Amino acid sequence: MTHRPLSIAVNGTARSLDDVPDSERLLDTIRWRLGLKGTKEGCRSGECGACTVLVDGVSTLSCLTLSREVDGTSLTTVEGVADDPVGKEVAEAFARAGAVQCGYCTPGFVMALVGLLKERGRSATVEELLADLGGNLCRCTGYLSIARAVALLSRESP
Amino acid sequence: MSTFRPRPDASPKLAGSAVYGMDLELPGMLWAALVPSPTAHGRLRAVDLAPARALPGVVAVGAADVASLLSGAHGDAERPVFPSETVVFRHQPVAAVAAPTLERAREAARAVRVDVESLPVVSDLEDLFPDWPGPEAEGSPHIAAHVRAHSGDVEAVFRSAETVVRETYRTASVHQVAIEPHACLAMVDGGLWRVRSSTQTPFGLREDIASLLGVPEEKVVVEGTWVGGGFGGKNAALIEPYALLLAKASGRPVKLSLTYREEFLLGRTTLPSVVRMETAVTNGTIVARRVRLLLDVGTSLPGRDFATGYSIGFLLGPYRTPAFEVEGYAVMTNKPAFGPHRAPFAPQCVFALESHLDHVAREVGLDGVAFRASHLWQEGTTTPMGQTVGPFGLATALERARATAARWRAEKGPDAGVGVAVGFWSTGTGAGGEARLRLSPTELTVVQGEREIGSGSVLAGVAAVVARATGLPRERVTVEYEDTAHAPFDSGVFGSRTTAALGRAAEEAVGSLLEELRRRTNRSGPVRLSVRNGEIVVTAAAGERTIRDLLSDSERRAGGLVAVGKHYGKGGEIDETKVDVGTFYPYTDFTGAAHVAEVAVDRETGTVRVTRYAAFHDIGTVIDGATAPAQVEGGVVMGLGTALTEEAIWSEDGRLLNAGLLDYRLPTLGSVPPIEVAFVEGFPGAGPFGAKGLGEPPIIPVAAAVALAVRDATGAHITELPLSSERVARALKLL
Repeated sequence: MTHRPLSIAVNGTARSLDDVPDSERLLDTIRWRLGLKGTKEGCRSGECGACTVLVDGVSTLSCLTLSREVDGTSLTTVEGVADDPVGKEVAEAFARAGAVQCGYCTPGFVMALVGLLKERGRSATVEELLADLGGNLCRCTGYLSIARAVALLSRESP
Repeated sequence: MSTFRPRPDASPKLAGSAVYGMDLELPGMLWAALVPSPTAHGRLRAVDLAPARALPGVVAVGAADVASLLSGAHGDAERPVFPSETVVFRHQPVAAVAAPTLERAREAARAVRVDVESLPVVSDLEDLFPDWPGPEAEGSPHIAAHVRAHSGDVEAVFRSAETVVRETYRTASVHQVAIEPHACLAMVDGGLWRVRSSTQTPFGLREDIASLLGVPEEKVVVEGTWVGGGFGGKNAALIEPYALLLAKASGRPVKLSLTYREEFLLGRTTLPSVVRMETAVTNGTIVARRVRLLLDVGTSLPGRDFATGYSIGFLLGPYRTPAFEVEGYAVMTNKPAFGPHRAPFAPQCVFALESHLDHVAREVGLDGVAFRASHLWQEGTTTPMGQTVGPFGLATALERARATAARWRAEKGPDAGVGVAVGFWSTGTGAGGEARLRLSPTELTVVQGEREIGSGSVLAGVAAVVARATGLPRERVTVEYEDTAHAPFDSGVFGSRTTAALGRAAEEAVGSLLEELRRRTNRSGPVRLSVRNGEIVVTAAAGERTIRDLLSDSERRAGGLVAVGKHYGKGGEIDETKVDVGTFYPYTDFTGAAHVAEVAVDRETGTVRVTRYAAFHDIGTVIDGATAPAQVEGGVVMGLGTALTEEAIWSEDGRLLNAGLLDYRLPTLGSVPPIEVAFVEGFPGAGPFGAKGLGEPPIIPVAAAVALAVRDATGAHITELPLSSERVARALKLL
């Protein structure tokens, strides 16, 4: 079976992907076709948030998204946030707050937070941001250091 | 925050460049899938791999193939990789397949025809033993272990005591739920069985694989990856032997990772228990106790009685008990084997013990905390099993907790309650290890096999010990990971042992390194290391020399001066005259914590919300001021899951009914209370600079503190874990 190539801007670079089956999940395309392993595979059922990426700037669970659905969009993974000012701030806040332990949930939290900050603007309160991070699970930190990272971001915002 | 130095692993983890087991990939590799048993107990009539092998590119291995793949080697006869006659738990792998794509592998796994004649399933240990096991238990195929010890004539003391309180507690099965599933990549190459795996214990895994496959340990090479959470779930072989057999059969690298559902179905973890407690009190003092434990150990092998022989001590201590009887049975059921889960079984024991002693105090008209405090072990106390307690800050921690609880009680609202509980733990310094250091002109490197698994015990703990012992700034101490063929042996990251035990080995290596430098510089006094103009220098009273000057040409070419330290800690000893049956394990170090929970209980739904929390810990000396409180926060929140929502539910026919995160509920960001963390110092442990272990203790008192807070708020005395909304609502007669 042949498929129309997918065209996705991946971390700012236009990519054309051939032979992506209709049933392929965006998570698998990102990890095994694009080789971007920073997007983590956890539950594959939308419950842990480890696979969160941005599709046209909106935080999206890549395990519940078919790659076909993102044809023509712009995709940002954790590898792309190093070049993004908001992404850099988020990463720095996580490091400073000691919010990284095993690190497996970390890219998902970073992407969800980058998405929220971009979507809501910098006026979002800590409470609003934390409420919207409820879909990301972490088993190491007990979340409090992650909350402190969020507070750093909010306080530092102009 | 301004003085905070980010952990060295924060950067690669935040950038997404840290490679975990799940991320492993090699050109030409095959993907593996496991073929599950369709029933929890049955006689295997046939496992027909032909339909799988008929699919293009598929390799399949089952019990019949193992002998030829291992070319005559004999694995562990008690633990065959694949069962050949009987399956003993649902989803037990009966075969494994590999294919060029994961989809094809899963299709092949489904195509295997497994023909099983069902046998009666034992799912609940209380179906087997509704009361206490009697003489019929002797020789029962369902008893994996039996331990009993006593001191004094308990029955006589019970008869003469003023009050005897008898209760039964029940605890649920809980999973580790690391966010990263088990994952490995295996290959067989030049006679070596190689595997890269997300493991807490590369050397333990090597030993396990060698024993399971029946190959010499030196033919097995394990390389750790970054570990996406361990919590005890990644400290033994679980998936690696399957991947290695498929690699051998196919001649290709084989990737095997579990689905999240398989994590729940195959993972070895904490299983249910029944705890019976009897306490005799006269004049406000405990005069005798009898504690009995029925522990579900699933399909654990007979004789592997660590679970009962170790955990059972947490039902007695940390309280003085003049006369006691303690007895435990490990009961086999048709579930996966029992396995370690952060402080294996201690939170459950402590929930029963603290709830019970609080109840006993109420029965005799005393304050629960004061009653417990008056019996608490101190330094110098002889434990029930005859060990002498070393420096121990638990009483100090409890005083701090009492003061906090009093303050919170004065402030709390009408539906709120406050609970105080203590727990003790022993740092696993008994398990041995070696550390190797390599000093270059600009860097001191710790070379080792086990990865930092997230707790900080390696990158913040061992590295901080080395920095402190040499005088070097932390950023000059790096950690390098090698496979088991090249790294010095160490037991692994478990048992809260890493900073203390591996740290001791590292401290000894520093000692021999500095001694060698003292010899080379002809100094008489102590020498230290520091940094001058970017170079590491040896400093002593009489001046400085750069390391560059002190290295020979061959040392410079080899990367630096190497020093090795060993720590094979001696465990404590128990009074064997108290042991009647089985094996009891000594504690090597005494560490403890006192926790305070404040809860609000919804009077319509029974839902418990923890509104604030405080944790006071004796960890000897705090080695790293940033990661230590982070460990406490994480452990407390994991404990809140055990206390309130986490419960793996098994049906009568041995099905796990909630094998997923939607139905097995973890704590989430919104459910976490503020946590106050403090360390009580001045009670040095056996680790470097007086350190004790910290990874496990924070989870231990949590369920007990929450249960006592719920009792304080509502009067409901709940004797089962978890304190789910449903259980609390029933206790409040809302259901």
